[in-house]
Amino acid sequence: MAASEKIQGIFAGVDVGSLASKSVIIRDGEIAGFGLIPSGLNSEESGLNALAAALESAGLERSDISHIVSTGYGRISASYASKTVTEITCHAKGANYLFPNARTIIDIGGQDCKAIRVNGDGSVADFAMNDKCAAGTGRFLEVMAGLFKVSLSELGDLSLKADAVVPMSSTCTVFVESETISLLARGEKPHNIQAGIHHAIANRIAGLFSRVGIQSDVYFSGGVAKNKGMRKALEEVLKVNIVEPYFDPQLTGALGAAVLAQAIAVKEAKKGRQQESSAIQSAA
Amino acid sequence: MALNALELIYKRLRERPQELVEARANGAKVVGFQAYNLPEEVIYALGLIPVRLGSGGDGDLVEVGGRYISTKNCVYVRSTVGLFAENTDPYIVNSDIVAFDATCLQTFRTAEVVQYYFNREVIILGVPRNFYLQEAHTYFAAELRHFVSRLEAISGVTLTRERLADSIALYNGIRDAIVRIYPYQATKNPAISWEQVFDVIQAGYVLDRREYLGLLESLLAELVQQRGAPVIGGEDDEARIFISGSTIPPGDKKLISIMQELGGRIVGDDLWSGLIPYVDVQIEDATLEALASAYLNRTPHGALPYLELATDRRIKRLKELITTFKANGVIYHTLRYCDPYTFKAKETKDILEKEGIPLLELHTEYAGSDFEAIRTRVEAFVEMVKLRAESEEAA
Repeated sequence: MAASEKIQGIFAGVDVGSLASKSVIIRDGEIAGFGLIPSGLNSEESGLNALAAALESAGLERSDISHIVSTGYGRISASYASKTVTEITCHAKGANYLFPNARTIIDIGGQDCKAIRVNGDGSVADFAMNDKCAAGTGRFLEVMAGLFKVSLSELGDLSLKADAVVPMSSTCTVFVESETISLLARGEKPHNIQAGIHHAIANRIAGLFSRVGIQSDVYFSGGVAKNKGMRKALEEVLKVNIVEPYFDPQLTGALGAAVLAQAIAVKEAKKGRQQESSAIQSAA
Repeated sequence: MALNALELIYKRLRERPQELVEARANGAKVVGFQAYNLPEEVIYALGLIPVRLGSGGDGDLVEVGGRYISTKNCVYVRSTVGLFAENTDPYIVNSDIVAFDATCLQTFRTAEVVQYYFNREVIILGVPRNFYLQEAHTYFAAELRHFVSRLEAISGVTLTRERLADSIALYNGIRDAIVRIYPYQATKNPAISWEQVFDVIQAGYVLDRREYLGLLESLLAELVQQRGAPVIGGEDDEARIFISGSTIPPGDKKLISIMQELGGRIVGDDLWSGLIPYVDVQIEDATLEALASAYLNRTPHGALPYLELATDRRIKRLKELITTFKANGVIYHTLRYCDPYTFKAKETKDILEKEGIPLLELHTEYAGSDFEAIRTRVEAFVEMVKLRAESEEAA
C-alpha cells in the first residue's frame, strides 16, 4: 500500500550507485516503471540509461516527466535532474512509501552501509554510515563471492546451509580474504565460513545501530537486501524481524527520489497558487 | 561591504614570517608552542614572541610525521611532527624554543618526539587531570612557576608583577574583542562569516599580540558601524550548524569548504581552535597563582577525564553556546585517533538529543580520500536539519 498521496503527474527518481544505476517512475502516486542497470564509468550516462530503461518499462517518453530527482554517489553529475538529494533522505522516503510503519532502515549498498532511523512522515530522524573502507559493504561480499567462485546472489543462499557460524576475527576485506583461505585450509566447512562472513557484516552494522538506535518496523534496502543469508544474519545479530519486501529493495533509493520529485511538484504548485492569490488580492 | 580590518589581517598574516626573521636577527626570541592550557601571557610578559604552531589538512605531512610518532596518534599530532621533520614551515623554523602542555597526552608525546628526533629545545607545562580539585590549582601554579623560570633563563628577563599585569591586560583585551566580534557572524545577512571570524581568531596565533588587539578593535568598530549591535538569528528554514569536537587548525579546510558548498551555515563552535579558549577567563590578580586558577576555571578540554556529565562544564558550555547562537544542528568533528573527543561523541549526542538538537559525528582525517563520504553525510544532515526547521516553521 503506497503511503504517498495520489498526486497527479509523472515523476522520476534516479539513483546512480557505485555498482548499479536505478530509476523508478511514479505516475499519479503509483509505481509505473523501473530500470536497473550496471553502473558504467560515466555517472551521467548511467543515470540517463537507467531512466531510459524505467521509461521503457512504464511505456512513457522523457517529455512526459515533470520532475526528476537524482541521488546516489553519481547525483552530482546529473544535469537531467531538477534537484539532487542524498541517498539517506531518499532511502527514508522510499521505505516510507513502501512501509509507512518502517522506523529503521538498514541499507547496504555497493560501497557503504547505513543505519537510518525514520519518522512517520518519511523524514530522517538520525543516521550513521560506515567508515570509508569496504568492510560491511556490497563490495566486500562481491570479493568473498569471487573467493568461493560463486555469484554474488548464490553466496547468501549457500550461507543458509551452514550448521554453525565460523566467527571471523576481522571485517577488513583483505584480512577476511586471507582468513577465509586459512579456514578452508584448516578444513572448516565452506557454508559455515560463508555464514561467518555474513555475520561479520551484521556485527559491523550492529555497531552503526549502537549510535542511532533501532526501532520496529525494520526495513532492509539496497542491493544486498536481496541476499537471504545477509538478511538472516542481520535478524540474528540485531535480534529483530525485518519486514518482507514486496518491491525490489535495490530500487528503494530511486523510489524515494521519485517521491521527492513529486513533493517538489506539490510545493511548486502550492507556491504558484499563493502567488496567484496574492496577485488577485493586489489587483483587487 | 568590505571590511578593511579583515583585509589588513590577511595582509599582515602574509607578511608575518619575514617579520619574525627580522625580529630574530635583531635579537628577539620566538617561543613556538602547541598547547591548550598554556597562559600565553607569561611568554609575552617576558619580551618573548609567542607563536602557536601546527597546521592541518595536509595528508603528506601526516605520512611524514608517522615515521617518527605512532600512527595511532591523531592526524593533527602526526602533522605537527611532520612539520618539524620537514622544517620548512616559517613558524617552526623561526622558533627558538618550543613549548607544549600536557592537556592532551598525544601533545605531550609530540614534545618528546620533537626533542628526541629533531634536537629542539623543548619545555613542557604539566597540566592536572582534574581541574575541579583545589589541589589541581596548587599543582598547576607550581608547574607555571617552573615554566616561567625556564623562560626567564632564555629571555634574561625576570617576570615582575607589572610586566605580568600589562600582559594580562593585553590578553584580556584580545579575549574581550573576540567575544564581541564573534556574534556578528551569527546574525541575519551577516557582514562577516563564521569562516572569516575563524580566520581572524587563528591570525592571533602568530601576529604580534599588541598589533593584533588593534586590528581586532578596528574590525569591531567597522562591524558596529555597519550593523550596530549584533542580533543573532537567520532565515526560518536555515540549517544553522554548530561545530564541536576535535581541533580544526589553520589549513584544515575540508569540513568548512564542504559546509560552504552545501549551503549549511556554521554559526558557532566550541573548538579549541575557535571560540572556546577566549570565554570564561577571569584573572583576579597579576600573579601566577591567579593566572593558573583562571585557566583551570575555563571550560575544560575534552582530553581531561570527567565522569559526572550532569556537572561537566564542557557540556554545560556547549549547550549554552548552541542556544546563544540559535543553532539547530551540531556537527561533531573528530579526527582519526583523537580518542578524547571521539569517545565523547556518543554521550554528547545523547545529551543533545534530549534537548532536541540533532548531532552528526564526522570521523575524518587530512587525506582527501573520504571527501565524498564526508560530503554525503554533511549533505544528508543539512537536508535533515532544514526539513526539521521547515516543519517547525509550518507548525
